[in-house]
Amino acid sequence: MSPGPATALLAAVAIAGFLVDRVWALAAMTLVLVVVCVRAPVERRFMYIGGALFGALGVIVISPLTWSSGGGTLLWEGPTLPVIGPIDISTDEIHIAVVNGLRLAVVALAFSAYTLRVDHDRLVSAAGFARRSALAIALATRLVPTLERDAAGLSESVRGRGVELHGARGYATLLSPLVAGSLERATGLAEAMEARGFGRSGATRAPRPPWASMDYIALGCAVVLVGVAALWL
Amino acid sequence: MALASVTDLSFSYPGRIPAVRDLSLEIEAGQVVALLGPSGSGKSTLLRALAGLVPHFHGGTFSGRVVVGGLDTRTHGPADLAGTVASVFQDPEDQIVMTRVENEVAFGLENLGVPPAQIWPRTHASLAEVGAAHLAERRTVELSGGELQRVCLASALALEPQLLLLDEPTSQLDTEGADAFLVHVEQARCAVVLSEQRVDRALAIADRVIMMEEGRIVLDAPIDDARAWLTTRRPRYAGGLTALDPRQQPPVGAPLVRLDEVGFSYGSGPDVLRGESLLVHRGEIVALEGPNGSGKTTLSKIAAGLLQPGSGTMNREGRATYLSQEPGRHLVRETALDEVALGVNGDEALAAAALERFGLSFATCRHPRDLSSGERERLAIASVSVSEPDLLVLDEPTRGIDPDRKAALSEWLVEQAESGRGVLVATHDPLLPAHRRVRLGRPLEIPVAV
Repeated sequence: MSPGPATALLAAVAIAGFLVDRVWALAAMTLVLVVVCVRAPVERRFMYIGGALFGALGVIVISPLTWSSGGGTLLWEGPTLPVIGPIDISTDEIHIAVVNGLRLAVVALAFSAYTLRVDHDRLVSAAGFARRSALAIALATRLVPTLERDAAGLSESVRGRGVELHGARGYATLLSPLVAGSLERATGLAEAMEARGFGRSGATRAPRPPWASMDYIALGCAVVLVGVAALWL
Repeated sequence: MALASVTDLSFSYPGRIPAVRDLSLEIEAGQVVALLGPSGSGKSTLLRALAGLVPHFHGGTFSGRVVVGGLDTRTHGPADLAGTVASVFQDPEDQIVMTRVENEVAFGLENLGVPPAQIWPRTHASLAEVGAAHLAERRTVELSGGELQRVCLASALALEPQLLLLDEPTSQLDTEGADAFLVHVEQARCAVVLSEQRVDRALAIADRVIMMEEGRIVLDAPIDDARAWLTTRRPRYAGGLTALDPRQQPPVGAPLVRLDEVGFSYGSGPDVLRGESLLVHRGEIVALEGPNGSGKTTLSKIAAGLLQPGSGTMNREGRATYLSQEPGRHLVRETALDEVALGVNGDEALAAAALERFGLSFATCRHPRDLSSGERERLAIASVSVSEPDLLVLDEPTRGIDPDRKAALSEWLVEQAESGRGVLVATHDPLLPAHRRVRLGRPLEIPVAV
């Protein structure tokens, strides 16, 4: 599938995730997206899929405790805490938590599928009127694994001197050098791009294969999905 | 008429002392020029001036004149010069733009406005030229450093430049990767200026040698004359370093770290190590050798205590510190003093003494990232040695450093061993001093004198 229609379809799924409030529909979208992400290379996919699903699980487990709906069947009643108020769990709260958790999973997995499966280069080429913006987005997306490696290198550098990093505060001290390092990388990349003629007038595009019938179907599905989600789900 | 001419070029980066002074030279079409010199001697600045990046990208104070392919760099920026000139920089990761290899090579051609029908044929021809045709469909994040640098070379050659500028392109590569890269450079059908710290390899393909020191050209001669000059004036640059003078084998001290039948894999990935054993005593330098992927880095980290073996045992007496690859990228504090003091619980007196020992007293209050690459590396070494560990573990410490710094590092390693420390060095460098060389990948241990 061409990257344009694939991105449109994933964006439609993410939008539908916000519009839909039926659990079965959200669960179905989550399942389909997991299947899509699982087809990515093994060494990259688990961080994305795991992050999305654990985040969703966190919402489902924690959010019923943080507010009181006042409706549904009361399943458990706990103490009243300062600021937070009464702690209880009702069927309404569980239902809403599941909906919100699945929504988060759908949006995060749609982004994961975009990152893992879409050919960002072809997307940049397809962006006729906003090529620079599309390139900036593609480069930002590519920066994620680089930052991950740099962060691991910084942590290793500190531990290699016999210094242990403790807790969030310890790791937060690496944030500033991480940002400084990424700025250095960005400057190096900008220099290399300029040396290769980026920004020169009269740029051309390498020819790309034309859209296949699957691409038109995907685009149609994207429109239908948002429409159905808005009107019936 | 010369392809490129530089006349009375002087340049200072903003707020810095001049990086190059009064340079004049000409480069003829088809010439292969080896550009030698220690770190900070102005080689990169000269290359950037030839590409128009100095002064257009960096700013600063520029005087003199640089003309390449008839284009004066004062009036034509790097984008105008692209195509006439092509550059490959040190770190391939900092120059890759696209996510797929063939798109990466096509990127420059698209920018130059090459007719669309010619882009894919030129892309694939260029990849084939550097032996990377099989990588065309691969994602760039999945490639090794050597493969990435070959893709960068293919991206440069696809532009069909008249002048190819290579700024220490093999500094991130292992020996095999560097050799393969330079074979392809030799076959390029254009003038080449190659800044390279693997001097013997650069001299093997060069027609002419330019040597720079402190921003000035101290040698500009055909290869044979240059070899003679280097042999008498700069012997460390004349065909590479020779092994250090043999010294007496030190008395073997007590065992410091012993690894028995160690196995390791990252997550659910394949085994990186299978049943490897290693012993390092006090007072000895052990060089850990082996091809890429043989597990040198992993075994070093296990010896330093940064990784736990998946199987087998590791026993270590005393403290160990570990210097990672590219240590200059992994500095974490706001001043050089704080950086070194981190390893000794903030003891500034000890840190200041270590800075002085490594000739970095001037940098005490400076931000580590304001230092040159060579100074950063010295700072990193000061940071891991300040706490006077029992075992020093260093991962590829000579990669990309000039012959003078390599000689200084070798001397320092010997001093560390003589003072009773154990030193474990993962390296591809056969000339680094070692009492024993342990090769991963096959059961071979070669005793040698330091």
